[in-house]
Amino acid sequence: MSQPSQTETSIYSPRPCRLLSVNKLTPQDKLFRLQLRDGSELQHQPGQFIQLSIPGLTDAPLSVASSPTRNGYFELGVRKAGILTSALHRLQPGEQVGIRGPFGRPFQLDDLRGKQLLLIAGGCGLAPLRSLIQYCQDRRDEFATVQIFYGARSPQDMLFQQDLSAWQTGGSFNCRYTVDKKPVDSCFDGETGLITNLLNDLQIDAANSCAVIVGPPTMYRPVISALRRLGLNSEKQIMVSLERQMRCGVGKCGHCTIEHLYCCQDGPIFWLEEVEHLRGAL
Amino acid sequence: MNATLTTCPYCGTGCNFYLLTNAHGKLRGIEPAGHHPTSRGQLCIKGWNAHAFVDHPERLTAPQIRTNGALQTSDWATALDLVHSRLTSLAEQHGQDSLMFLSSAKVSNEENYLLMKLARAGYRTNNIDHCARLCHSSTVTGLVETLGSGAMTNSLSCFDETELIFVIGSNTTEQHPLIGSRILQAVRRGAKLIVADSRKIRLAKHADQHLRHQNGSDVALLNGMMQQILQDGLEASDFINDRCENLAALKTSLAAYSPEYVAKITGILPEQLVTAARLFASVNKAMIIYAMGITQHSHGVDNVRAVSNLALLTGNLGRPGTGVNPLRGQNNVQGACDMGALPNVYSGYQKVSDPETREKFSTAWGVRLPETPGLMSTHAIEAAAAGRVRGMLILGENPLLSDANQALVEKALRNLEFLAVIDIFPTETAQLADVILPAACYAERDGSYTSTERRVQRGRKAVDPPGLALPDWQIICQLLRRCGLQADYAAPSEVMKEIAALTPIYGGIAYPRLEPNGLQWPCPSSDHPGTPILHSAGCTRGKGLFSPVAYRPAKELPDAAYPLFLNTGRSYFHWHTGSMTRRSHLLDREERAAFVEINPEDAQKLGIIERQLVRISSRRGAIRCRAQLTDKVPPGQVFIPFHFAEGAANALTNNALDPEAGIPEFKVCAVRVEPC
Amino acid sequence: MLKQLNYDNLLQLLETISTDYALQVPTLLADGTRLLANYGSGELSLTGPPLQRKPTSAFFPQTELLLTIDVEGQVHLPQPEKPVALFGLDRTDLAALTFLDRFFCAPPADDIYQRKRDRALIISLTGSAGPERSFLPLTEDNCDIEMSAVNGQYLALGHSELGQGFLDGFADGDPQQLEDLRRESAQQVSPAELLQQASRLLSEERVPDRFWKEIADKCILCSGCNLACPTCSCFGVQDRQSGHGTERSRVWDSCQLDAFMREASGHNPLGSEQLRTRRRIHHKLVADVERWGELGCVACGRCDRACPVGIGMLAVAEEIVRRFN
Repeated sequence: MSQPSQTETSIYSPRPCRLLSVNKLTPQDKLFRLQLRDGSELQHQPGQFIQLSIPGLTDAPLSVASSPTRNGYFELGVRKAGILTSALHRLQPGEQVGIRGPFGRPFQLDDLRGKQLLLIAGGCGLAPLRSLIQYCQDRRDEFATVQIFYGARSPQDMLFQQDLSAWQTGGSFNCRYTVDKKPVDSCFDGETGLITNLLNDLQIDAANSCAVIVGPPTMYRPVISALRRLGLNSEKQIMVSLERQMRCGVGKCGHCTIEHLYCCQDGPIFWLEEVEHLRGAL
Repeated sequence: MNATLTTCPYCGTGCNFYLLTNAHGKLRGIEPAGHHPTSRGQLCIKGWNAHAFVDHPERLTAPQIRTNGALQTSDWATALDLVHSRLTSLAEQHGQDSLMFLSSAKVSNEENYLLMKLARAGYRTNNIDHCARLCHSSTVTGLVETLGSGAMTNSLSCFDETELIFVIGSNTTEQHPLIGSRILQAVRRGAKLIVADSRKIRLAKHADQHLRHQNGSDVALLNGMMQQILQDGLEASDFINDRCENLAALKTSLAAYSPEYVAKITGILPEQLVTAARLFASVNKAMIIYAMGITQHSHGVDNVRAVSNLALLTGNLGRPGTGVNPLRGQNNVQGACDMGALPNVYSGYQKVSDPETREKFSTAWGVRLPETPGLMSTHAIEAAAAGRVRGMLILGENPLLSDANQALVEKALRNLEFLAVIDIFPTETAQLADVILPAACYAERDGSYTSTERRVQRGRKAVDPPGLALPDWQIICQLLRRCGLQADYAAPSEVMKEIAALTPIYGGIAYPRLEPNGLQWPCPSSDHPGTPILHSAGCTRGKGLFSPVAYRPAKELPDAAYPLFLNTGRSYFHWHTGSMTRRSHLLDREERAAFVEINPEDAQKLGIIERQLVRISSRRGAIRCRAQLTDKVPPGQVFIPFHFAEGAANALTNNALDPEAGIPEFKVCAVRVEPC
Repeated sequence: MLKQLNYDNLLQLLETISTDYALQVPTLLADGTRLLANYGSGELSLTGPPLQRKPTSAFFPQTELLLTIDVEGQVHLPQPEKPVALFGLDRTDLAALTFLDRFFCAPPADDIYQRKRDRALIISLTGSAGPERSFLPLTEDNCDIEMSAVNGQYLALGHSELGQGFLDGFADGDPQQLEDLRRESAQQVSPAELLQQASRLLSEERVPDRFWKEIADKCILCSGCNLACPTCSCFGVQDRQSGHGTERSRVWDSCQLDAFMREASGHNPLGSEQLRTRRRIHHKLVADVERWGELGCVACGRCDRACPVGIGMLAVAEEIVRRFN
């Protein structure tokens, strides 16, 4: 008979984390840099998420926006949407939160290595994709060409604007950005229109390409169609990240199911062929 | 795990469930009573979650006294002494009728009786009322006049044998879910269903006929149906001859209500009216179900009279599967009325103006009692705003959110020289109090409750109250003693003995007899089995009275400045001012904030999209909340639930009162909606 | 190990168990409801209709403290409770327990559940223990002791070492009686066949969307089907703060509620009553089969009894088979 002590931890126990810095990304989004209080690394992989806990407000799933190749911290890009994220937005550097995780299936790096990558993000989807982009940046030789496509509602809604320009000018990546609407006085020099416009005229070596899509629910189907037209029709060529309202992160609470799959454990990153036939997945 | 059978604290259906407590005496869950005649192993979502608020950390745990503007923790003796001395001195300076007592449809029969006794015998005023003023005062007034008894005439079991159900002004599957489900089951077994409601409620999807008549046009609709029934010669002549009076006057009053005339007022097609009237009159057993859609109007009593007229005209009274069935909204709003928490009657609807009755209570309580009927709660608010009511004791009510025209209510409450509130949570009203007294909630005290079908049944204690909180009956007894009255009841069962002795309709009610499933009043003697169906041999008043009524429009109708109808009510997941449900995890999660239902057509015209923040204003106030685009409401009407303090529907509503019942017109006023 | 107990022996056994365990036994309550309640808290009820409260709630209760976070941010787990012993589970109760064990203990294991479950003692009650002593088939599985009522006596089969330990010292049972019980159990008709048929029709996409709309229109959103279901495992998390810190608990949740999957943005993958109604049935009859290899419904009938409008699992499965087979 086991006698659990008070200090034993549970899969539901948050670990204390310190906020190192908070930076404004857009009027609704902030970038939080955190460190586990015991100084250890998060040991996540690109594409995984954590459950961020604030006492009184339970916890919420947030994808990690930084690559594990960057040591000493991890980052979360968070839009102010619900009660918990609003509370998080009010926190200052030095304050403490709890985290559980990392959880979930990451981007399948083994299948991406050596491939020509099409990394496609819409809106907030850039936050989780950034972990992969940073990884590619830091391990550039593991991948063939890397193209980044990002669409946002307007220039001021674009996340990680410094990163976006750095990726564009850094020479490692080929980047194309678009916005739905460009104000007349904007200095944004990207394109205007849907993200699919960026893909339509693309010349790629389809057989050696892999695409990764992270974006709002409405983005998936049109982007997938565009990729299919480019010739990405085989298995393990299109990877999607499916966000659901994960509550536990460990496949128990049931809030993130897609038919028989638990998004928090079986995903959030899926190959398209694993989910496209499932009702409500895309 | 331990299981304690009790009555649900939410609506008036009267479901019973087991409160499940763990080894530490903590409430951990709910299980429906498997064999109770109402619940039958089933509950609605509020019932399934009725344990959730009980141990909420915001429960009031100690008396609080306002000192230098701030509420500070105190002890019982100090707080009660202060309440008593302040009420007493106000009565001495300004007369007893400068005090007002608000009782509660959430506390037990015994507690309502005791508060009624406290007001009348302790502080010598008939100024006692409770929230039935805001829900079914029209029913009590109207049905007492036409039938002699202001309660649901039939029983819930009648749904199992009726041939037709006419639901008017009741969103039954949301507000009395376990009654709504019985209606759906009746439909499945072949009963006909007519729904008259401007909103496309769930029942409407299952109705043979859905009449979307304009809010406030019920009298026209019902008169039109009756006129058609008379035209077709479908009235129940034998029943009318034997058991009713005043038909001639009714006939005269109905003559003008042709289908075409009614169509103009109600907005429904003449053919729809004719079909509905014929369908209703074609069956042998029809039940009329109604709720706030009928009562909450400046002509609420007229609406009730019209409903009663229709039942009498078609002989749908006094038999199984028939009846005039007002659905009572709170778990003990029937009981609070029965116990005389009303300004004009003692328990059992015995009139305070009747000298013999007064003498009876006077003798029993050992004091002289005031003769003139007291103030209705809605009039008391007006009187407080005008400085005529100066001291108020509120038991478990939150008028700041629940009463019409919030600005007026706030002015009234702030204007009081002394306000004491007994409650379980720091409600918006309690925040204005001079003294707050912490009460035990339903799961923490014994008592009896009377459901909508007049079923008197037990509430049982499962857990201890938090901190210093006390059962309401004990708090009231402390005040009774301070008034020099005897109040040595060892338990609520002893209070019930006193009630039974003084109240003919409860004469046979005693705790041992309430095991396990309760008794339906009238139950005049200890060997009486209770009365599932009222008016079976004859009406309580003798003959059923046809009480002719004419259509009067609502007091405020849309115009150029305020072009939309505002309809208010409850949503399914929340309860009244939200003090319990907004502290229950699942219920709160379902609906966390105020919203306004708006028809997509109107939304498009106004440039409003789903979830957009909008500003809604009336002549009395303005609020902000999110838009919910739905064809549940017809074009031209918006609906806002009144649960949310931060988007209070009652900041907008019109406190135009029914002249007889004093009920405000919660269901109709004019508003403007703008994106913000 | 097969033993024979008379009524007094049975009480003696329960008494012994209750010294070390928080023992819950079938109890007859005021209105006629039967459920598992603390031993000694009410009338022991050894025959009758199925237990009202799902027995799996002993391990996955409606409200359960997960942890507390003190004002310093330190996390504390709840103190261990006395181990639980349950007596009176029938075949469907144990099938549900097996299902839930597998679900919660699948890696990463839910330690809160497992901690209680590992230390528990489970005793079934079968044989002449149904309504009016009607026959309940043997469970043969996932319990420490199988207790079967036969001719006013109790045949006790120790399945686990723990169970056998409690049976030491009682008289030996007659193996022939056990064989008879097994034979009779095998003859019982199970509603599982109906569920299998419905499951097949669903996975073959034979059930059109309009069917779900029709069912959803009746649903009054009571959530009773989920809360009564012994294999339903969904929960929500609630935090409650007081001066001492934060208590984080889990509470039963229902996939029939709009906010179950609604995201902070307002997006909702289960955004209509129709989709949610489909999920309720589809999850048990198709998704669970896909994931766990068997139906998620043990045909206990609790959701059908809890449903105020007659659209519980068995009712819906019957309708599916009747209309789309």
